[in-house]
Amino acid sequence: MFKKILLATSGAPSTFGAARVAFDMAKRYGAEVVVFHVMGVPTKAYSQVVNDVRTGEEIEVDDEYRAWVEEELKSTFEKQIESVQYAKIVTTTGVPSREILRAARSEDADLIVMGASSGDSSAYRKGYPGSTLQRVAKAARCPVMTVHRETASYWGGFGNIVFATDFSKQADSAFRFALNSARELDCDLTLFHALDISGKVLDQNAIEDRLIAARARIRAAYVPLMGDFKNFDIEVWEGVPYVEIVKIARERSADLIVLAHHSLELDPEKARIGSTMEQVILRAGCPVVSVSKPDKV
Amino acid sequence: MPEGIFCNKTPINTEEQLKATLGDKGGKQYYEEMNHLDVDTDKLWSTIQKTMKSRTKTWLDICAHCGLCAESCFLYQVNGRVPEQVPSYKIQSTLGVMVKKKGKVDNAFMQMCMETAWSKCTCCNRCGMYCPHGIDVGVMFSYLRGLLYSQGFVPWELKIGSGMHRVYRAQMDVTTEDWVETCEWMAEENEEDWPGLEIPVDKVGADIMYTCNAREPKHYPEDIAEAAILFHVAGENWTVPSEGWEQTSLSMFAGDWECCKDNVLNVYSALERLKPKRAIGTECGHAHRATVIEGPYWAGRPDGQPPVPYIHYVEWLAEALRSGKLKIDPSKRIKELVTLQDSCNYVRNQGLKDVTREILSYIVEPGYFVEMSPNKEHNYCCGGGGGFNGIGLYRAQRNVALRKKMEQILDTGAKLVIAPCHNCWDAIRDLEEEYKIGIRWSFLKPLIIKMLDVPEHLRPTEE
Repeated sequence: MFKKILLATSGAPSTFGAARVAFDMAKRYGAEVVVFHVMGVPTKAYSQVVNDVRTGEEIEVDDEYRAWVEEELKSTFEKQIESVQYAKIVTTTGVPSREILRAARSEDADLIVMGASSGDSSAYRKGYPGSTLQRVAKAARCPVMTVHRETASYWGGFGNIVFATDFSKQADSAFRFALNSARELDCDLTLFHALDISGKVLDQNAIEDRLIAARARIRAAYVPLMGDFKNFDIEVWEGVPYVEIVKIARERSADLIVLAHHSLELDPEKARIGSTMEQVILRAGCPVVSVSKPDKV
Repeated sequence: MPEGIFCNKTPINTEEQLKATLGDKGGKQYYEEMNHLDVDTDKLWSTIQKTMKSRTKTWLDICAHCGLCAESCFLYQVNGRVPEQVPSYKIQSTLGVMVKKKGKVDNAFMQMCMETAWSKCTCCNRCGMYCPHGIDVGVMFSYLRGLLYSQGFVPWELKIGSGMHRVYRAQMDVTTEDWVETCEWMAEENEEDWPGLEIPVDKVGADIMYTCNAREPKHYPEDIAEAAILFHVAGENWTVPSEGWEQTSLSMFAGDWECCKDNVLNVYSALERLKPKRAIGTECGHAHRATVIEGPYWAGRPDGQPPVPYIHYVEWLAEALRSGKLKIDPSKRIKELVTLQDSCNYVRNQGLKDVTREILSYIVEPGYFVEMSPNKEHNYCCGGGGGFNGIGLYRAQRNVALRKKMEQILDTGAKLVIAPCHNCWDAIRDLEEEYKIGIRWSFLKPLIIKMLDVPEHLRPTEE
């Protein structure tokens, strides 16, 4: 299912969780890992000077620096690289989100795995924690898996997948990915919808009516597509969507949350408030896969 | 010493030479070799005799050293008003002396000239407006740069930049394949949000042929996507050429005249091949100057015009907004103080001062646009023009140069600066990085896209 995994990493500890998951998956499924690193953001017009992604320092990218960075990455992930059959290190310079997308396209990656945030060390001034992820998740043709918290990095294979839907077109792609994963890896699938009642005061009967309607909608939209796959159940909870998604994942001891990303808003300041996807990623206790395009599912 | 391995009188013409020169970290060996580079004084003098036209001769002769140009120069202003930064002094002590001595100058003199030509003048041409005789020191410095380049006295990055144009016909290593692939990629990435979006390559007879800056496919391909989106929404019949798409000319900054001509002919041959009704260049100042203002002369075009009408992006945008091809949703107009950076290369050099303001009248809520002072053709260079932005050797001087723009921006009180020029955009970004004054900066394209009133039939179908 995953022949090629692009691990986008700054090499910083905040991405170690993502690395563990990427390598573990590659080991289990015989995939190739491309360890992809963007060395720096070109800030100085057309000169060779860039800002190092991790330190923010000005550096001149030449063969020597490139070799040093590759050596650093190699020693950081030494044991993991040895544990898989195919792995390679690719480095480049540029705006991280753009270069991750470029690499995913040129490598024809089946999955991008990355951390959710570079924390305070983000050197790209227009950025903010999560901006790279937002941009990648929006435009990538393949699913994007993020591993944010250390607790989420444990990978013991799939047992339970939570698919959270908002009934968008993109959610259809996410559903296909969740179903294929569940089928292929033989695990349980929870089809979930969080009814958004945040900031509203609603009559309880109205809430319950909506819950019933949403359940019916899930059944109508997805169940006919499942064929002989029976290991699923349907849940609809009301509340603040990201909280409910994280809660059901915890309750089901999910190993994976799958959801769609389709926010049109890429303005850093507005997106900063946080989409459901971003909030789920930041809070979930397991890896989160965001799917927005149908190509690789 | 004769010529060095990297620092020499021969332009970079092969990929191998280019990569080797790039591999010389920070130009360390390059500048070391420059210390021993011989000046071919005979060739220098014969070049001057052959190429120095009567205008430059007259300017050098009639300059009264009155110093009235001093205050016009932002570099003079931000460098403690020292006499060495007075434009007339800068050119008389370099080109003037070179001519007086009939080219009999030494290595140290040439290095002094190089430092003056690339770190004390951005060829912004502002001084020309204030000289009682109309002497334009910026134009003369461009000429001096050519002489210095021919003798191998050019900053390392610009030798590389010019080499990039010679090898790839782009200021960065973007090949034809990379370019076409990027167009496909951007169309694909945005087709969902903009149904029917295309970036047509090599369409013959389109109304518009669009050209850009190699930084876009290299690092910021969303800029190409944004141009495509706006052409799409405006319903334009447009295309990009697979060859001749790169409109910039670092060779112009480097003083590599031969390469300047080659670059612009490459763009013109695309126009002749695709026969568009007109051409539109991206939001870049020097690209416009190279292709539209100076290019026709390099190419030897008798009418001094490109083969088809060739306009700057702001001209097309103003036209599209004026004619209603693009409509702005009034509720989305900018409602915060915003200022505008006038690019020397298309404002002072071509007078495009009003169209940018017309654009702002559509996109900024009345009362929120605040002019820099001075502005329009009197505006100061962003601080990084003429190649200054990219030269590592003169980084410290460039950072000082940014202070004028910083003061101008701070005086407006605006936190958002619209900079429809790649170089100004870079300089303002670097200025924020250096001085942290808390500003944002933007091209016009992304701002306009956010404010568009998109016709129903062009919107994605929501489920």
